[in-house]
Amino acid sequence: MDEYQAEEETAFVVEEVSKIIKESVEAAIGGNAYQHSRVNQWSTSVVEQCLSQLSKLGKPFKYIVTCIITQKNGAGLQTASTCFWDNSSDGSCAVRWENKSMYCIVNVFGLAL
Amino acid sequence: MVHGCHDNTKLYGASYFVLLGSRRPEIDKAVIMSDLLKDKSQRREKRAGKLPSEGSHGVRGKETTGKTKDSISTVSYIDELAHHDDNPRMAVTMENTYQMGPYKRIPIPAVTDILKDVLTSYLQEEEYEGEWSQKMTKTISEVIRARVKDLMIPRYKIVVLVHIGQLTGQSMQISSRCLWDAANDTFASYSFKNSSLFGVATVYAVYFE
Repeated sequence: MDEYQAEEETAFVVEEVSKIIKESVEAAIGGNAYQHSRVNQWSTSVVEQCLSQLSKLGKPFKYIVTCIITQKNGAGLQTASTCFWDNSSDGSCAVRWENKSMYCIVNVFGLAL
Repeated sequence: MVHGCHDNTKLYGASYFVLLGSRRPEIDKAVIMSDLLKDKSQRREKRAGKLPSEGSHGVRGKETTGKTKDSISTVSYIDELAHHDDNPRMAVTMENTYQMGPYKRIPIPAVTDILKDVLTSYLQEEEYEGEWSQKMTKTISEVIRARVKDLMIPRYKIVVLVHIGQLTGQSMQISSRCLWDAANDTFASYSFKNSSLFGVATVYAVYFE
């Protein structure tokens, strides 16, 4: 398996990924208020947009993208993740976005091939 | 080309290498590196809650105001525990094993049982409480990861995600999509509910080629 790509190109770059996530979330649910009937479609579009932008990066990675959209209600939510992988090549990024009526948490895990 | 050393299949985790007489130094490096995957549990933990992130344990957050006045976004990525001692080591270059696919796949019913078991035993009689839930999510995700690792499925990377939330009549949607090899990679999830809280656990298993 000859890898002629430079180290930088095949590492998980958190800033780049977080920028992609923020743009996808803004585009999909930007100025909207929480609506139960539309939340399904919103989360699907956030996730699919993230994924298609990530695949456009062209890096040799498998991606897992998770999205949680919650209504603002004073309720508490805790999330944790642990991973069994190769620390030098794999990475993850979490973005927390909110507006007046809802929270959106997006997690991206990138696993090197 | 020597295809040899199939007894290396005893090693779980991606630490396969082909032995060629002339490549001694590389092999030694590969052997040392492979212990990284085999023994050390690489742990990355993340806390995302309603409470503002405390800034302890090296959680980095950036506040940037979005384009619309009433949306804020925060970026946080985890840097706890595992990373610091691994910094001086370089990325491992794996040798080719000519293996076309996984010899042993992830048994989904077994994993779902693990999730059900762990969630029920940890959350059955509990009430939602801020601090306690933070610790609980981390503990539960580590326990699940350890039990899935005990299944000893070689060459699979594991990602475990646990959410614990309070039930106050709010609405929530959790969804995920993956860009992976659908033939070899898979996931399992389980959700649990009692009178004051809910818990959702998801395990993703990704084959390392």
